[in-house]
Amino acid sequence: MRNPIIYAFVAGTCLLSAPAWAQSLKIALSSEPTAIDPHYHDLSPNNALAMHIFDSLTKQDEKQKVLPSLATSWENDGKNRWTFKLRQGVTFSNGQPFTADDVVFSFCRTLKNETAIAGSFADITGNFTAVEAPDSHTIVITTKAPDPVLPNFLSGVAILSASTLPHGKLTFDVANNCGVTGKWPVVGDFNDGKLAIGTGPYKFKSYTKGTSIELERNDKHWGPAEPWANVTFVPVPNAGPRLAGLLAGDYDVIENPAARDVSRIKDDKRFGYVITPSTRVIYFQLDVEREPSPFVKTENGKNPLKDPRVRKAMSLAIDRDAIIKRIMDGAAEPAYQFLPTGMFGTLPNPPKISYDPAAAKKLLAEAGYPNGFQVTLATTNDRYINDSQITQAVAQYLTQVGIRADVDAMARAIYFPRRSKKEFSVAIGGWGSTSGEASSFLKQWPATPDEAKTIGGSNYGGYLDPEFDKLIRTAIVTLDDAKRSELLQQAGTKVIEGGAFIPLHFESSVWAYKSNLTYLGRADQFTMAMQVKPAK
Amino acid sequence: MILSKSVAPTVPDYADTSLRKRVLRRIKNRPTTRGAIVLLGILLLLALFAPFIAPQNPHDLASLSVMDNRLEPGSQGMTGITYWLGTDAQGRDMLSAILYGLRTSLLVGLTSTAGALAIGVLAGLVAAQFGGAVDAAIMRIVDFMLGFPSILIALVLLASIGRGVDKVIIAIILVQWAQYARLMRAAALVERRKEYIEAAVNFGLPTRHIMLKHLLPNSIGSVLVISTISIASAITLEATLSFLGVGVPVTQPSLGLLIANGFEFLLSGEYWIAAFPGIALVLLIMSLNLVGERLRRSFNVRG
Repeated sequence: MRNPIIYAFVAGTCLLSAPAWAQSLKIALSSEPTAIDPHYHDLSPNNALAMHIFDSLTKQDEKQKVLPSLATSWENDGKNRWTFKLRQGVTFSNGQPFTADDVVFSFCRTLKNETAIAGSFADITGNFTAVEAPDSHTIVITTKAPDPVLPNFLSGVAILSASTLPHGKLTFDVANNCGVTGKWPVVGDFNDGKLAIGTGPYKFKSYTKGTSIELERNDKHWGPAEPWANVTFVPVPNAGPRLAGLLAGDYDVIENPAARDVSRIKDDKRFGYVITPSTRVIYFQLDVEREPSPFVKTENGKNPLKDPRVRKAMSLAIDRDAIIKRIMDGAAEPAYQFLPTGMFGTLPNPPKISYDPAAAKKLLAEAGYPNGFQVTLATTNDRYINDSQITQAVAQYLTQVGIRADVDAMARAIYFPRRSKKEFSVAIGGWGSTSGEASSFLKQWPATPDEAKTIGGSNYGGYLDPEFDKLIRTAIVTLDDAKRSELLQQAGTKVIEGGAFIPLHFESSVWAYKSNLTYLGRADQFTMAMQVKPAK
Repeated sequence: MILSKSVAPTVPDYADTSLRKRVLRRIKNRPTTRGAIVLLGILLLLALFAPFIAPQNPHDLASLSVMDNRLEPGSQGMTGITYWLGTDAQGRDMLSAILYGLRTSLLVGLTSTAGALAIGVLAGLVAAQFGGAVDAAIMRIVDFMLGFPSILIALVLLASIGRGVDKVIIAIILVQWAQYARLMRAAALVERRKEYIEAAVNFGLPTRHIMLKHLLPNSIGSVLVISTISIASAITLEATLSFLGVGVPVTQPSLGLLIANGFEFLLSGEYWIAAFPGIALVLLIMSLNLVGERLRRSFNVRG
């Protein structure tokens, strides 16, 4: 049965007279994954890479719609029990069959993951009170509170093979090591490929930090075979050399060339490109709690950011359209809420925040700061598209209405730990909704932290609105879609009115590629070989 | 001036004058050196009077406009101002930014060299005068400092203390003082063996007096000459640090940061953002090096 297929393929290749490299694909990344371990850090580049080697119970398509993957169907009992039917006949790349044991094993591992960054993925599995396997291809998950978007979140939790560790009978008994007798793996154990065993469309081949990640096609994959025998990811952090590499023919696909450079390839028949709006919102988070705040200086010694009028003035002082036009080169959409209109739980018509420096000055005067004040904006310079330039432009706009703004730009490795220690007064942020619902931002950033820390984990500005808290806490346990959407809209409106988060824009992602390829851009900004197909 | 006073016992006055004449003659005879001196003078004046010459204050965010960003050289801005060298991504007039950047570069170069010189000379002098354990201790620290690439030390330092002109100066002082200490120690050791110092010691003059009045003035000459070249390397180091993103604040760009900012636009054909500050930096470093090198050769100092 195999031979005819090979013959057909060889014949087809000859007919199309495709060059020898058609089987391998080289992709230049702007942001390198920090590990092969899929449970190490819930970070877009890591998750995108993980999806080549591993599958999850569910997956999201390019518009973040949830589709079956290792689970073929699922249902909820109207409360907090979810039943997932698992796909039959799936094998891991080491030949072991995929069963419910692997799911239990993987969920346990996220909770027994010593090296995970900031409890990545444990925020999902930590809500499970029980995971049972009535038969080898059924999984029943019971959550502490009803979780309407569990299938969305599970699309991010990669399923490992239980065969990689010695174990007895596997149960979701975290206190007793779930039946695993071996030592739970840490992040470094995945880098040589021994543990990088998944059911995904590609297999791990090699990983050299800072240089390349090589994958090869997984012939045991349950889904349709991928067109590429070999895929190489090369990290090229600087946009210039990345584009130069594409132009020179070194790379087949590059992510995020500078939007201003798109015009260079626009009229070049050798290349194509795609611009896809993403769900990633860029915003500033204000310290609305402390008195005084470390990076604000006023004549009266108070923290002006506590005054809603001042917050509104800051938002009105910023010309979002100018930033998008001049700094983002048009590759962004202005943001008046925290997830693009049309996504679940967003406002259909959020009030437009127009650029109005006169109104901003008036509000500042009303709030008792006719001469403005001094503030330092903290920003990354290597995380979001044009992050440092955006912050500098915002500093310009704030200074023009009298708020003398300074900019402190730093690398993300320094910025993120400092921000989580609440060292800033006004800090840039970026958030893509992993669930595709408005709740993702609302429960993580403005919500007041709860005891279990499953919500409000990033409320560094100390935002406190009891009415909003009530709305969001109810929303995330409401299973009825219409009701939940309504609650999320109300909660979102509260946060917009509160003004403690100043939304700027939604990033658009750009991919450029050789014209003998096609690329399907994703709203979650993931760069994946599965999105690349040979052009017909 | 100091030289003629204290050198008197060993080196007669006429030697000094002839040396000076020799140096002046050499400089006059070398058109490159004369050119370099004139160029350096112009750059110094431009930096000194930048606030009066520059069409815009590039450090004042209120005077910038994002809407004028990345304009070609010679473009007219929205406020009617003409950007002769174009604008950068924030709408900064490149001409003004370069003038202010020169100021920052020279400020950093001169103050950090002066600071490093002061610490290094003192350390070298103490090491040479007291010898023994003191000498060993100081020189081991110096060896330790010189064992690392200066850029590495500066990077680590700045990554921990943050950005700022003052912090860059501190970082450069910390990486550069060691070489002065070594030079000063060597020069002072040679001087210490001379008879006039022995005589001073036998007269029972206080150690401090010997160090400051005899040893220091007679051995500092070579160190001073080397320091003129080091100004250029301090400026280069600042530019490198800023280029790597740990130097001066982004709102007060130095030449190095301006080049870094422009770097990403080079491929987009917007050459002026990186090219003009680059030319300014090359001219500054080149003129400083030419002058310093000429001085070094004239005084026959090995550094």
